[in-house]
Amino acid sequence: MKLFDPHIHMTSRTTDDYQAMAAAGIVALVEPAFWLGQPRTHAGTFEDYFLALLGWERFRAQQFGIRHFCTLSLNPKEANDPRLADEVLALLPRYLEKDGVVAVGEIGYDDQTAAEERCFAAQLVMAREFDLPVLVHTPHRDKKRGTERSLALLRETGFPPGLALVDHNTEETLPLVLEAGCWAGHSIYPSTKMDEPRMVALVQTYGPERILVNSAADWGVSDPLKVPKTARAMREAGLPEDTIETICWRNPVRFFSQSGRLEMGAVAETPAVDQRLLWEGNSVLRGQAPRVDR
Amino acid sequence: MTDSLPSAVAAVVCGRVPPEAASWLRESAALSARSADAFRRAWSAAGRRLGRAPLALPTTDIGRLGRDGAAFALQTWATDECGRGVLLAAALSGLSPAEQAPLVAELYRTGEVRERQALLKWLAFLPDPQRFVAVAVDAVRNSALPVLEAITCGNPYPAAFFSEAAFNQMVLKALFNEIPLRRVLGLHERRGAELARMVDAYASERRAAGRQVPADAALVTGDLRA
Repeated sequence: MKLFDPHIHMTSRTTDDYQAMAAAGIVALVEPAFWLGQPRTHAGTFEDYFLALLGWERFRAQQFGIRHFCTLSLNPKEANDPRLADEVLALLPRYLEKDGVVAVGEIGYDDQTAAEERCFAAQLVMAREFDLPVLVHTPHRDKKRGTERSLALLRETGFPPGLALVDHNTEETLPLVLEAGCWAGHSIYPSTKMDEPRMVALVQTYGPERILVNSAADWGVSDPLKVPKTARAMREAGLPEDTIETICWRNPVRFFSQSGRLEMGAVAETPAVDQRLLWEGNSVLRGQAPRVDR
Repeated sequence: MTDSLPSAVAAVVCGRVPPEAASWLRESAALSARSADAFRRAWSAAGRRLGRAPLALPTTDIGRLGRDGAAFALQTWATDECGRGVLLAAALSGLSPAEQAPLVAELYRTGEVRERQALLKWLAFLPDPQRFVAVAVDAVRNSALPVLEAITCGNPYPAAFFSEAAFNQMVLKALFNEIPLRRVLGLHERRGAELARMVDAYASERRAAGRQVPADAALVTGDLRA
């Protein structure tokens, strides 16, 4: 079964991770733009980050047979720096039209401030202008209220719910998101957010429709193999193969295809690997024989 | 020539893509001449709008385009690359000469891979191409193979406008990346004693490390010593 990780921050992962992900069946992923663990101080570093997602990271993934797509945004945390926020919002339109950008995201609330709401709303407007879906981050603190406020903002601004993937759900937020008509993401984490047994229970209750799972792996303690591990947990719990495939492959493909930039045909085939390719003078290889698929 | 090549290319592309893609290209080119923002958006969307298949022109079509350099280049260009050149020529026509070079530099800086490829392939066919030498030299430092090949292979720009030092670095970089030197236009005319020395030194380093010397090294050094 082909697997899709619809939320993973590969810029902070190693080539060992890429190898393990490919070996576990992951053939496509979406890397959302988020923060880097500490606040940035210049809009220019956002621009270079966007270019890295559109260039180097796409190339790096391809070296291991994985298709790399991204979502771009000003994230909720850094929306709270007003000078930076306006500069980043101003440069986003320059990048949203580019190939491989399959949504605006992550956007949403973190501390649930007025500044976050202003940037969230402004980027919903941009998503409509560029015909893109949105990836909505829900806060870790006061999560249920933050999710309710996110769904309310989508409704008030007339954003089509089928174009919104609301992420990091729990037992308490999933029913709200499904009822609103949005897609629901679940970040399977080693100790926080959601875990495999709880995810199995949610699927047993709600079925597979509009439900996605992701690893949300980044620079913190996280596991880039959580999608294959959750697929295995669902299989061991006796869930049908069709349900597992819907959650771990078809749903992310359907959701992000709404961008018109996922290029289904290309995604369905494993890209040919040619590790002889170089990027910016650096090969990902360090002396070992390059793998070349012919 | 610089006025007529984009229109000839536009006619070829429009004749080969579906009608809605052809009207998109015509309308976007007209818009690009009036608005730099409209141009930037069309520039990024061109791959999805026009497709990325090689143009693979029949020789009769190439003959009609005239100019050897352009004809040679177009054989290897893809539909989106051709379309992007049409849009860029239109955008430049709407700008003063002082505004043109900054736009070209900006497109390179903010471009993703295919956008950069298209830009580099068109450089030699833009008005006053010597203005863009800094962009072209910078592209050689970027070893993303598709980008590096766009400036190094089948491109008349480096031989025409690079300094000796920049041209030599490009040839050495091509050797490092196993790009066949036969694809470097003007190598025979531009190679000199300094390039032969650099390639010899590289060959010596490879031999000392017990590695193979690329066969193409002889294209630079062999004839000169003979």
